[in-house]
Amino acid sequence: MSLTIALAGNPNCGKTTLFNALTGSRHHVGNWPGVTVERRSGAFEQDGLTLEVVDLPGTYSLAARSEDERVAAQFLASPEVDLVLNVLDASNLERNLYLSTQLLELGKPVAFVLNMVDDAESRGVHIDVAALETLLGGPVIPTVGNRAQGIPELKALLAVLARGESTRCRRITVDYGHDIEGELAKLETEICRDEKLEEAMPPRWLALQLLENNAEAKRRVAESHASEAISQQLTKSFAFLEPHLGADGATLIAERRYGFAHGLVKEVATAPDEGRTPTARLDAVLTHRWLGIPIFVGILALVYSVSFILGKIPQDWIAEGFKALSDFAGAHLPAGELTSLLVDGVIPGVSAVIVFVPVIMILMGCIAFLEDTGYMARAAFIMDRLMHVMGLHGKSFIPLIMGSGCNVPAIQAARTIESRQDRLITILVTPLVSCSARLQVYIVIAGTFFTPFKAALAIIAMHFLGLGLAVLMGRILRSALFAGPSSPFVMELPPYRLPVLKATLIHMWEKGSVFLTRAGTTIFAGATLIWFLSRYPGIANQEWTAQYQEQRQAVAALKLPGAEEEDRLRALQLAHESRIVNTSLAARLGQKASPLLRPILDPEHKRAEAWKDVIALTAGFVAKEIVVSTMAVIHQASDEPKAGERLSPLQVSLRDNSGLSPLTALAFMVFTLIYTPCLGTVAMIRREAGSWGWAGFTIAYGLVLGWGLAWVTVVAGRALGFA
Amino acid sequence: MTQNLSIPLSDLQPGDQGEVIQVKAQGQIRQRLLEMGFIRGARLRVEKLAPLGDPMELVIKGYHLSLRRDESACILVHRVA
Repeated sequence: MSLTIALAGNPNCGKTTLFNALTGSRHHVGNWPGVTVERRSGAFEQDGLTLEVVDLPGTYSLAARSEDERVAAQFLASPEVDLVLNVLDASNLERNLYLSTQLLELGKPVAFVLNMVDDAESRGVHIDVAALETLLGGPVIPTVGNRAQGIPELKALLAVLARGESTRCRRITVDYGHDIEGELAKLETEICRDEKLEEAMPPRWLALQLLENNAEAKRRVAESHASEAISQQLTKSFAFLEPHLGADGATLIAERRYGFAHGLVKEVATAPDEGRTPTARLDAVLTHRWLGIPIFVGILALVYSVSFILGKIPQDWIAEGFKALSDFAGAHLPAGELTSLLVDGVIPGVSAVIVFVPVIMILMGCIAFLEDTGYMARAAFIMDRLMHVMGLHGKSFIPLIMGSGCNVPAIQAARTIESRQDRLITILVTPLVSCSARLQVYIVIAGTFFTPFKAALAIIAMHFLGLGLAVLMGRILRSALFAGPSSPFVMELPPYRLPVLKATLIHMWEKGSVFLTRAGTTIFAGATLIWFLSRYPGIANQEWTAQYQEQRQAVAALKLPGAEEEDRLRALQLAHESRIVNTSLAARLGQKASPLLRPILDPEHKRAEAWKDVIALTAGFVAKEIVVSTMAVIHQASDEPKAGERLSPLQVSLRDNSGLSPLTALAFMVFTLIYTPCLGTVAMIRREAGSWGWAGFTIAYGLVLGWGLAWVTVVAGRALGFA
Repeated sequence: MTQNLSIPLSDLQPGDQGEVIQVKAQGQIRQRLLEMGFIRGARLRVEKLAPLGDPMELVIKGYHLSLRRDESACILVHRVA
């Protein structure tokens, strides 16, 4: 026998910690159908029963306005749920009980967990659990989630409840007073005319939502054949209640619910001690008028360094490991299609996926840590003014800054933003923030065409341009896509808490594995497609392969000293690859497509090699740093400088043969910044925004915007007399 | 309690206490504010403003909450001594 328990509660009530404590590490993480709200489920065994636990998103209410609330409300009303477990934060009981008053209307057995009783005790709040049980009409188990206190008792209780052997659940609902109850009864009568409506949820619950003027409830009613009768009754009820009680339905119902919660708290809990809490003392510093921002910048710098500087170490190991593997395979397998598929397709593809994992895990760990301590809400509090001016939310700041390390985890970090609108806008503009992979392209190009000082200026300018565009696009998207009032900024500043290390580790692991399984396949498929385009048909040309083998053997026969032989072999390999790539499908496409890029990269129609840029940029779709290695192949010149020289052979070749001028080189950099997010980012946008549509939209606007700005660069530069 | 004028919550200064008279916002924001405890008679205290002057932090129903000026301007309160 298996039963499903829904875990419901406010944000910050310790629900997820409790979920981890109940289910151990056997989790399944996915999304709720149709939305990008995380769905976590797990199971535990007790007394021979398998109890499935579903962790609902933390919500303050079931009013079904935000995605989170809609998911929670729909799931709770579904027949799948056998038992509701309402987690209450003992140190913030009154507001937590508001949600309970709604849960009690659902007509399902409700049990309560009084979590973080230690926090409450330390503030001088003592709660009479027996009295609370009586008043709530359901069993209450006190726990300290992060120390697993009360968990065995809770598991035993859940098993008893699941078997239906307990008589401790009585049905208790808020008494809304004579007038409202009268109207509720009338509405219920009308609702019960439609059996389907009656079955979908308790009629009283629907009636309450109608009186609250809830849009979702009204939509439900509009679909019913009894909709006319119900709306008529609703109009009558409003006409009666408003003048009679001096306020609209929503206010009256909220007042009664809080009245219930307030009365209950008075009955069962002692008042908290006067005096400053540890949280207030910490906030006196952390959100201080003058200190708040410097401390925030310091914490941000720390997170950034840990993620992208420390995270770069394992990232380099992985990249080098795969490179060594690919070199080894290339040296020991016969040249040909299969080897190329492995060496140039599969291995770099897998590498392009796995290389992200350390950074994702570290950054997500840091963010989970900030979130669990309660600091994330303060960060949003501090930065909101600035971000609001840009049409974004205080919580958008961290993803945007982290984007300058790598866009992929930055987009994942946008999960902390509750409002769907704000999150979507943040996700869509983050790719404009210049990441460290694009930096590698700038370094090669700027280093070739500018003096070191001007090159540094140009590179810095790219980063500011990216941030500026992100802000601008944020404003444009806000007004174009979400006309109307922006989502309210009503954000709780929860008490500071010490996070549970295990929860942070679980979170890191989940983020890493979700990336590998969901985004990994997309990146891998894209990398393979690009390999195919850039190697065929040349790679299948037997004659070329045979020639290459002969040349290698000829070099080997010279019996040159080790280093020289290696150099010669490398030059041969580069020449062979160059021949393949320069006649590939990608090259043909590049030649066809180069007129499109002519206005920005070849305004004077003098460059014979402009099509090579197209191949490099196409390959850069897999990962921006590949632009450089692809250029090395196409121009048949190594991108590693020889000892004692400032420019690498690739840079010399670009300077002397490519036909790029300083101005078009700058346009190339601008275009590289904007033209499209890399595959990893695209895969992440698709996952986090919830559709391929948004991923496609990001690519499309990037191409248009990138082209436009590169063109402006060229035109303005020429007008100013640069070449 | 002295009966004084109703003023928007955004006019309270850090350290001031107030009592909610009415939430004037409409739609989503109204419902959200009601749920968060801004009901008639609820006591609140303004803790501080963010370093850049907006949003504000306040204590209501025993917990800390931050509101932008956009939202706090549509909550009417009495100042309470």
